[in-house]
Amino acid sequence: MPLDRESWLYRTGRRLALTAAVLMGVGLACAPLQNRVWGEVKSFQPEMNLRDLEDALGQGVIIGLLGGFRTLVADFVYLRASYYWEKSDRPNTEALLALTTSIDPRPLYFWLNAARIISYDIPVWRVRERGDFEDVPQAYKDHIYQEQVDRAMGLLDRAQSFHPDNMQIPLEKARIYYDKVKDYENAAKYYHQVTQMPDAPYYAARIYANALDNLGRSREAYEFLRELYPTLPPSEEVPQASREVVLERIREFENDLDMPLIERFPPQSIELAAPDPVNLTPFSTTGEGTSASED
Amino acid sequence: MSEPAIRIKNLTKDFRIGVRGVKLRAVDNVSLEIGDNQIFGLLGPNGCGKSTTMKILLGLLEPTKGECSIYGINSHSVKSRLNVGFLPEAPYFYKFLSGRELVRFYARVCGVPKSEISDRTEDVLTLVSMQNAAHRRVGTYSKGMLQRIGIAQAVVHDPKLIVLDEPTAGVDPIGSHAIAELIIALKERGKTVMLCSHLLAQVEGLCDRVAIMSRGKLVLEGGVDELLEKEDQRSLIIRDFNPQAQAEIEAVLAKYGSKLDKVEAPRISLDRLFLENTDGAAIGSGQDVNDKEDA
Amino acid sequence: MNGSSFARLLLIARNTFLEAVRQKFFNVLVVLSIAMIASANFFRQFDFGSSELKFIADFGMGAVLLFGSILSVVVTAQLFFSEIENRTALTMLAKPVHRWEFITGKFLGVFLVLMAFVSLMLFLLAAVLYWRESNLMTYPRYADDFANGRIVNYTGILQLVFSELFKFGLLAAVTLFIASFSNTNLYTVIISFFVMIICQLQYIARDSWSDLDNPILRGIVWMLSLLFPNLQMFNVGEQLVFPTEQVTLSMGGYIGLLGYGAIYIAVLLGLSAYTFRRREI
Repeated sequence: MPLDRESWLYRTGRRLALTAAVLMGVGLACAPLQNRVWGEVKSFQPEMNLRDLEDALGQGVIIGLLGGFRTLVADFVYLRASYYWEKSDRPNTEALLALTTSIDPRPLYFWLNAARIISYDIPVWRVRERGDFEDVPQAYKDHIYQEQVDRAMGLLDRAQSFHPDNMQIPLEKARIYYDKVKDYENAAKYYHQVTQMPDAPYYAARIYANALDNLGRSREAYEFLRELYPTLPPSEEVPQASREVVLERIREFENDLDMPLIERFPPQSIELAAPDPVNLTPFSTTGEGTSASED
Repeated sequence: MSEPAIRIKNLTKDFRIGVRGVKLRAVDNVSLEIGDNQIFGLLGPNGCGKSTTMKILLGLLEPTKGECSIYGINSHSVKSRLNVGFLPEAPYFYKFLSGRELVRFYARVCGVPKSEISDRTEDVLTLVSMQNAAHRRVGTYSKGMLQRIGIAQAVVHDPKLIVLDEPTAGVDPIGSHAIAELIIALKERGKTVMLCSHLLAQVEGLCDRVAIMSRGKLVLEGGVDELLEKEDQRSLIIRDFNPQAQAEIEAVLAKYGSKLDKVEAPRISLDRLFLENTDGAAIGSGQDVNDKEDA
Repeated sequence: MNGSSFARLLLIARNTFLEAVRQKFFNVLVVLSIAMIASANFFRQFDFGSSELKFIADFGMGAVLLFGSILSVVVTAQLFFSEIENRTALTMLAKPVHRWEFITGKFLGVFLVLMAFVSLMLFLLAAVLYWRESNLMTYPRYADDFANGRIVNYTGILQLVFSELFKFGLLAAVTLFIASFSNTNLYTVIISFFVMIICQLQYIARDSWSDLDNPILRGIVWMLSLLFPNLQMFNVGEQLVFPTEQVTLSMGGYIGLLGYGAIYIAVLLGLSAYTFRRREI
């Protein structure tokens, strides 16, 4: 059959070819621009492990995820997890929290709250599954606590791979170790890590000293605080720095360690100015599961 | 002006149907010239190719062969439409505009200078007797009003040629009559009017010249009078008719070699009857219609 | 006698916009606005702290993305085919109006509609965020979160108005191009949504073609990545609204993004005008 130049097939084919040629030309011409911008935008969007997500979500939602509704889907899943959390439904809460962080690992909020729920709330639910909270043997409780804390640490390890420079994650780890299982070894390790990072809260250093003290390494804690003190800004400027509290603690250590006067930390100007210091708040060592538990 | 208002030369238009592009010839080698300041009727049944011819003339369709021009400018060119006003068949205008807004809008599209827009708009609204309904949304108009506002938008930029596609289709006799009067008024203003219609009777008394199309071909073209008159026949209309006188008249006619074919009572058209009984004042010169041939 | 192309373009654009307004398009906006305010209140029942702002912003921007995408496609197709089906295009194109003026005018009209939508929604989002943020800042227990002042970057929301607008404009241009050769509204809408999804996923082809081993497949994926614009690139809401030190869209990146959108809009309009040129009205 000779090619009929007026046929629908010919005209459509020609139009398609022309359109494709123009679009590809533009695509090529815009490639440098696209590389530049997409390179930047993409760096904010960590890859998703689609295979895991597909089982949990189905293909329709996957398209939505890939098509720009990632944050929204993650929010929905998180709200769903919150719903199960209110019902103390352990399997669903834990599964959906894991799913939330897989969908969108960017918000720190998801990681931190998931870790808190896994380490603080779920152990309580699990103990209650065994019977009245008071009647359950302590050994069992400890076992459950440790198990849940390990799970939370696994989660926070993954969080750290997405947010390596964020001090909130080691801070959360330290807090959980300290409060939930009294694992001062690990708590000290992570609090120390936090103190080395920019934007570390002042209280991290103080609790680090406490953790060392609890480990029986009072001397080490004392040395740390002595070095810390001169770096702190005056309280009038930054009340959170709690300079007085640190000094008070230093004096406590000196007394506890029975240090000779000559080795002690020289008297500071605030001590001289206020010979009778008010009774300052003691160290807060609680972590109540919110990021704002200190100060 | 030396150029005719419209020149159509060997115009052919094929439509392609289906995937393989089977040809359907809608207009077949039509040639036509329409002089200045005429009312020209392009007549024929539905699907005879008159609307296609009109669309090609207005640049809405591309001809397969041949060409059209308006006042010497090829229809390909957008400039050819500067001097044309067009009323499409069964026009639907922007329903969300009022009549006045619609006319103003088209005036601006056609480049009427800003200072003249208001005057021109009111002028054509008066011409089509739509001043009182001009504030209403076009969506609320009756068919006859739509045609009239359609004519208003077609003439608002004072074009030399006005093309009307089925201006009276679906309009009641009063409306048709008003439109016919309008067309005559336009001619009196020196315009050329080309109208397409399948309602042959309605345009008969209106057109100076007509062309009749059938199956895409032009079958007849000429002045209305010359086409319609039976050259060798005349009708006499007699008041106070007396049957005895008829015998004497026949005798006289026989003496000159003529013959009385038929005697019948002249009838007025239903249209006219309708007009006389509804709105007598509206009867004018233009619509004295189709009893001519049979009387 | 004959005015400039530009004047006609604006006239057609204005008329298109007016049509959308008088066809009660803005009723949709009112409903969406109420929904947005309601959602902001919804999150108050959770104790999200400062993250409540993230949820409000996510849902607000998600609504803009979802409804904006729908509007870009549906409104464009609707406003285009209302001209064709009501034969108003016939009247219009029988005037001294170029076909490209008609197409571009239609696009500009839709663009105005989208601009109204995006600015209104994002303005409302900003207002809701501001109200909640001011409120949350008064709670001592969230003081840490707001230690460095406000978290929400309101200039970022303003920037987002334009990047969203260009994204939806691109989508509208895609729809207009498809409408320029297709015969029905429904077909246009379906194909446009299909293309939109491809454009949203284009980045997968773009980022992966070079990793493929099969040369034929590699070529096909490469061509696909060139054929479609990268819409995913426009999902920068988070970076703009909650910028952090690591996650901030640079000014260069932002302007590049708008430029990318503008180029594609122009090219697609050109293609639409070219296809529409020979369309039988």
